[in-house]
Amino acid sequence: MIRQRKLLLSALGVLLIVLLASFQYSRRIREYRSEHFLMDTLISIKAYGRDQEVLKKSVSEAFAEMRRIAELADGFPQPGTAAYGSSDVCRINAQAGKQPVMVDNDIMAMLLLAKKYHHVSQGAFDVTIGPLMELWGFGGEAPHVPDTHSIQAALARVGSDKLVLNEHERTAFLTKAGMKLDLGAMAKGYAAEKALQILQKHGIEKALIDAGGNVRTLGRNVHDASWKIGIKNPRKSDAIAAVLQLENASAVTSGDYYRYFEAGGKRYNHILDPRSGYPAVRTMSATVVTKDAGLADILSTVFFVLPPEKALETAGKMTGVEIFLVTADGRILHSSSLKGRIEVLPGDSYRYDQGR
Amino acid sequence: MTRADKFLLAGLVVFSLLSMAALYSRFSGGADKLQSSKAVISVQGKILRTIDLTPGTRSSFTLQGRLGPSIVEKKGNRIRMMEAPCAGKVCVNQKWIENPGETIVCIPGEIMIRIEGTAPLDAVTR
Repeated sequence: MIRQRKLLLSALGVLLIVLLASFQYSRRIREYRSEHFLMDTLISIKAYGRDQEVLKKSVSEAFAEMRRIAELADGFPQPGTAAYGSSDVCRINAQAGKQPVMVDNDIMAMLLLAKKYHHVSQGAFDVTIGPLMELWGFGGEAPHVPDTHSIQAALARVGSDKLVLNEHERTAFLTKAGMKLDLGAMAKGYAAEKALQILQKHGIEKALIDAGGNVRTLGRNVHDASWKIGIKNPRKSDAIAAVLQLENASAVTSGDYYRYFEAGGKRYNHILDPRSGYPAVRTMSATVVTKDAGLADILSTVFFVLPPEKALETAGKMTGVEIFLVTADGRILHSSSLKGRIEVLPGDSYRYDQGR
Repeated sequence: MTRADKFLLAGLVVFSLLSMAALYSRFSGGADKLQSSKAVISVQGKILRTIDLTPGTRSSFTLQGRLGPSIVEKKGNRIRMMEAPCAGKVCVNQKWIENPGETIVCIPGEIMIRIEGTAPLDAVTR
């Protein structure tokens, strides 16, 4: 009898230990990571929390949201396909010069932002750049330098002043036939920000979304320190020009190395100045650090297109916006407020005067 | 219940609580948080000493830099220059470092504190 009771007590003790152990194990912070090809790039989401099921569900919802925005904003599907039918951008483009088109709330929000920053950047950012992008062939396989006459003709069909938005009726209208929206310079960042909001809605406090180099961080990293985000060296693959420390912020870079071609010994990159119709050439890469990934995406293009000194000055006037530039003549410039949160690494293609 | 049963029961409860405490400290607050790291302190290019940055411990000590005594403090897995005789106090103002690859450098005192390892990146913007 006594022996039985001892046995029972031992069994209970062991059970208690196992229960406590599994309870503690379940409290451990885990990582859930998922990657998908979307918006012509690889998008990765890493989310951290104690409940694996919650992480999985949130990340999957976040991807669904990004996919939805990608489909709405996709300007390149073939007419007649399902993707063409679900794209607001395609419908707006098809009705250019004809009539306003009713659009999704998120497309409306993006177009309002686009118009705002077209104004702020004095035309350096323009989502109606479609005809120029098409002319240069950056979306396709054979990009080439167009003749000046065609560039002038395309420029006549570019201009955000000819994009008319009616917030009340939620419609968008390109007033001139042949105009084309291209949200390529803002959709990834906007979608990343929306994805982050979904994660937050599910109570996630630590996450990293990497939308093809457009980085959005939430909270601090798993070591409870700032996230370490490298800025790519614009002239050396796999090398880093600087390391940023971010908390609950985005870093987005526009560079001349991502898509470009060479002709007659000159490099032509895919970021066009919507005012001249030619690629912006004064900057190798422009990185923007700010909280909102959508804004960071827009501003990285703005600051790539603007002359470097003007970019630094413009960024300096914005609250919560910091920039890091590698200029075409090989200088590194950055907002002075980044000091202490940025480590610049040596490189062959640029120089860095710390005193600046 | 016999006396032996009571001892056994008490023993089991104590053992369970100890296990819980051990497991709690192992798993709380992130997987790698409790891995200890090392800080290497060098003066005028020579390694003076290597310090284990063990979580839960705290200490400070004085070292002789080129300009005179400086005080280094460590607290858990972090380390900082608490006092230095230099004019600029760049090293002191830098406050705590804790991540692999991070350094505190006092140029006038020729002191360097570096946490071992290379800084891993969480992502790259490009």
